Amino acid sequence: MVILDSSSKLPDTSVSTYAQTVQVKLSATGFMDVMPPETLIMTTFSSVPVIWESELRHQEYQELGAALSEMTKLEEGDEWKIDPPVYNAACYVAAGLLAHSFPAPRIFNHGSKSVVFNWSYGADNMYLTISADHISALISSPERIKRRVEYSANELMDPSAALSSVRAFLKKPVQRLVTGAVTDPTEFVG
Amino acid sequence: MRCGGYIPDSDSLFRQSVYPVSFKGRAFAWDKCLNLSDQNEGSLLASLTWERYVPTEKLIHGYGCRLAFRRNERKLAAAKLKDAEAKLKDKDRQVYCGAYELKGKAIRDLQATEGLDEILSADVVHHVEVEGEIAHADLRIFLKPGSVASVEGTKTAIEDRLWNNCSGPLRHICDCDKDIAEHPSASLATPPAGAYSDTRSYTLRLWCMVRFQICDWLWRNNLWH
Repeated sequence: MVILDSSSKLPDTSVSTYAQTVQVKLSATGFMDVMPPETLIMTTFSSVPVIWESELRHQEYQELGAALSEMTKLEEGDEWKIDPPVYNAACYVAAGLLAHSFPAPRIFNHGSKSVVFNWSYGADNMYLTISADHISALISSPERIKRRVEYSANELMDPSAALSSVRAFLKKPVQRLVTGAVTDPTEFVG
Repeated sequence: MRCGGYIPDSDSLFRQSVYPVSFKGRAFAWDKCLNLSDQNEGSLLASLTWERYVPTEKLIHGYGCRLAFRRNERKLAAAKLKDAEAKLKDKDRQVYCGAYELKGKAIRDLQATEGLDEILSADVVHHVEVEGEIAHADLRIFLKPGSVASVEGTKTAIEDRLWNNCSGPLRHICDCDKDIAEHPSASLATPPAGAYSDTRSYTLRLWCMVRFQICDWLWRNNLWH
């Protein structure tokens, strides 16, 4: 289940697509006459989550891209500022995540030299710490570190290994941690 | 009775959370709360306060309010170098929000944590600040030379372990921040270990308070250094 923060809104396109889909289904009265009500309801709404998931994920990544972009523009000395090479690496990884339809991560940083992507599932957490030339993957539970993997600059050129770590962690639906408000998205990731 | 010295494993240490450093937008970001900084000699450093010199919640929060106040003073002084009439912008205003508790043992156990093999030593050491904050302590982590290609991933792992071992939050609104309509302290998250509970007996708390008063008096009168 994807939980969006309060600042996130459905894009107009998704609303219209959803409305259009429902309208088409309901206007097709031919099958309504022969279909039991419970089947009709299930059929009508079966397509909705697919549309929502796709659109919402896209929106989440727009917000992620905007947040990363904002972090590069902060004043020197700001705790949230990141260096341009870190931004480039983070966008590269984020584009891979989006292409593989992973839920958008929550982000934070340790300073200008890295940005961290974070997902939580129940009490477990997964982190990708992305530097300009390095990725560190960490999976942890409240009790222990379950796994840590380091990826070098060469592997960053083909982030499939890091993405496979994410895929392994995100086998089940992931709850996205509520994040702070992000200003209007200005660009796509990558 | 000793003032200063070794911080026992069983003693509590507190990390003060200040907006906006520990926040992303209006949301609390616990990962930013500890804020480990790189030191020259391959070590990581963060600031804590030692329960011995902040033995009550009022004293814990007093430290936090002074911390935010000093940061605001520094920011304002810097702004006034450019413009004598400058005022502190709302977005730059530092607001103390509360504190999280860690045991000394949780910090020292980092050295033996499976999956953090690069740590040579992890300790917490009493270190009075130049501003005269006698409760200040350094969290110092030394890494094995050449053990990591990038220290950034190590920071993530350390912060993850410490977050899972801390308790809190102890929320607070300083007198100077009572004008803030939506105080960010409401956003502080509860860590996996749960809320903070002071398990000291009444007698022990009384003794801690007496010891603090004596040590504080000795410090103020230059009789303990």
